[in-house]
Amino acid sequence: MSRSDLVHHLARFARALRERGVAVSLSDEADGLAALTLVDLGDRGEVRLALRTALKIRPRDAAVFEELFARLWSSGDEGMRPSPPRLPDERHGPSAPRAAPRPAGWPQAVSTTPDVLPTGDEPGYSPEAVLRKKPFEELAAADLQAMERLLSRLALRLATRPSRRRVPTRGRGEADLRRSFRRAVAHGGELLSLARRTRPIEEPRLVVLCDTSGSMEPHTRFLLAFVLALRRVARRSEIFAFNTALVRVTPWLRPGRIDLALERLAAQVPDWSGGTRIGECLAAFVDIYLDELVNGQTIVLILSDGLDRGDVQPLAGAMRAIRGRARRVLWLNPLAGDRRYEPTARAMAAALPWVDRLLPAHNLESLERLLPFLSA
Amino acid sequence: MRPEIAELQDAMERQGYIADPAIATALFLSREMRRPLLIEGDAGVGKTEIAKVLARLLDTELIRLQCYEGLDVSTALYEWNYQRQLLRLRLAEQEGQSADQIEDLIFSRSYLLERPLLRAITRREGPPVLLIDEIDRADDGFEAFLLEVLSDFQVTIPELGTIRAEHVPYVILTSNRTREIGDALRRRCLYLYIEHPSLEKEVRILRARVPEASAMLAEEIGRFIQALRRRRLSKAPGVAETIDWAQALLHLHREHLDRETVEQTLGCILKDHHDLRELGPEELAADLAVAVAR
Repeated sequence: MSRSDLVHHLARFARALRERGVAVSLSDEADGLAALTLVDLGDRGEVRLALRTALKIRPRDAAVFEELFARLWSSGDEGMRPSPPRLPDERHGPSAPRAAPRPAGWPQAVSTTPDVLPTGDEPGYSPEAVLRKKPFEELAAADLQAMERLLSRLALRLATRPSRRRVPTRGRGEADLRRSFRRAVAHGGELLSLARRTRPIEEPRLVVLCDTSGSMEPHTRFLLAFVLALRRVARRSEIFAFNTALVRVTPWLRPGRIDLALERLAAQVPDWSGGTRIGECLAAFVDIYLDELVNGQTIVLILSDGLDRGDVQPLAGAMRAIRGRARRVLWLNPLAGDRRYEPTARAMAAALPWVDRLLPAHNLESLERLLPFLSA
Repeated sequence: MRPEIAELQDAMERQGYIADPAIATALFLSREMRRPLLIEGDAGVGKTEIAKVLARLLDTELIRLQCYEGLDVSTALYEWNYQRQLLRLRLAEQEGQSADQIEDLIFSRSYLLERPLLRAITRREGPPVLLIDEIDRADDGFEAFLLEVLSDFQVTIPELGTIRAEHVPYVILTSNRTREIGDALRRRCLYLYIEHPSLEKEVRILRARVPEASAMLAEEIGRFIQALRRRRLSKAPGVAETIDWAQALLHLHREHLDRETVEQTLGCILKDHHDLRELGPEELAADLAVAVAR
């Protein structure tokens, strides 16, 4: 295979990886090329290992890598087969993204219902106050914009915890010898003032697991909008959607307009509004992502109504594992907004011992009350 | 396979490290491309050991930086020896030296405490192996700083100027994946993920590291550990635990696994209270049956 062929094939392989959500940058491709020039190109196994190393394939992307490598990278100098099939049209196992039709019941971008949002002309009448109390299932898509502004402001109020790292400060803090002494040099070695350092405020780290099954349908959109707003403050948040399978949706949620992000999301999650298998999905989360994404600083947020008729054993096991690592586990249940609600659904009851807080999430006000729990 | 890779694999094995092709290839590429190698994997799969073996193979010094939360520049890179500087300052003043003289004096290399990163780039006798262990424990700010050092291999000390690397060190970073390593740092490195070894590899490791154990015992231990790892444990035993266990069994003069022995020594391999409780008599019996099956 000539060098230019190699470049070509590598570029195509990298693109196929990117289309499947594996982050491979141009510099990774350059590394891949450099690595390929160092190994025996006739040895397929060695090429595979070299590419895994140079393209920095993480364990969670390993399955996709292996599948694409097997399909697109032929051995020896035959080169790759002619242009790879259009990837997004195919279905690759349960967790792979695919193009999905707009889910039924998904609020349209332009609402067909008359604008029910109060205009706020009447004195003493705040549209926000109404929005705050309005249950999500009664909200129209047109409310989303107003919600978005409110949500962003809410998210900004998210309190934070101090970091372990220390940075210089003018105010109070512990003495910083290094800088104090440095300053003293200017005064002939007399320590006239002490430099101080303190711990800066740290962003919270969130891992959000959002149930997108049919029973959650009326709430999903607004809960996700809230999560996206949170993500602007807690930039290192990771977001997962689950119903019958678990999908990491963080890569599809770039900053920008919330409604666009939601459209993209709906297209990537298989079986949107289908059934739920909470236990299996959380167990999959524990297997693949827990170690890497959840540590003593992470707050795990599960958005689900806990309605699942499957086996509760895997759920309890997964919840225990998550509880064991996370700083805090919060379960937001839209049903809990009803005062008569009792967490008796089997799945909910099984998960409850491992949840720090079960909180309602049926309207904006309830989300507002959640904020203090998201900080230290 | 490139002969160099096979050679590296053999050389590592001679040092007592059983490397599979994935490890040998990654290490070879990192050496040839002179890029840091980021190694991830569960605790006890032998990440740190790779750096040690590499240092022995290259017959060079291993410089280790253990990361922890709150690790900062003064512990990782350099620190001025303030006490000595202050003493010297007082003395110099009594001797009536000028300010410039004093400053040159106390901000010279002899008042500088070299920490691992600085030592790694100032080593004169050939490139050392720099092991940055458990980078996932340090915070993001440190990661950004590390990125800078690993890109240019030079360090600027305001009082002294820029210090360039005498030799670019071989860098190995390890992570237990308690948090995700930032993309920028990951891009800077080559990447290797080490899984728990296969049965065959684990038995070979045991034979190499605990040569006193019989082939039979090593095989049984290997099969038992493999069976354990298939269970949903919160802390699956790593190779390090397997080796510890084999040594413990030898000290107890056991040549075979039996129920009593396993129960007595289970603490060597399962280090989580919940895991110990989960593994009831039935589970134990099942795994034991797998282990001693003929």
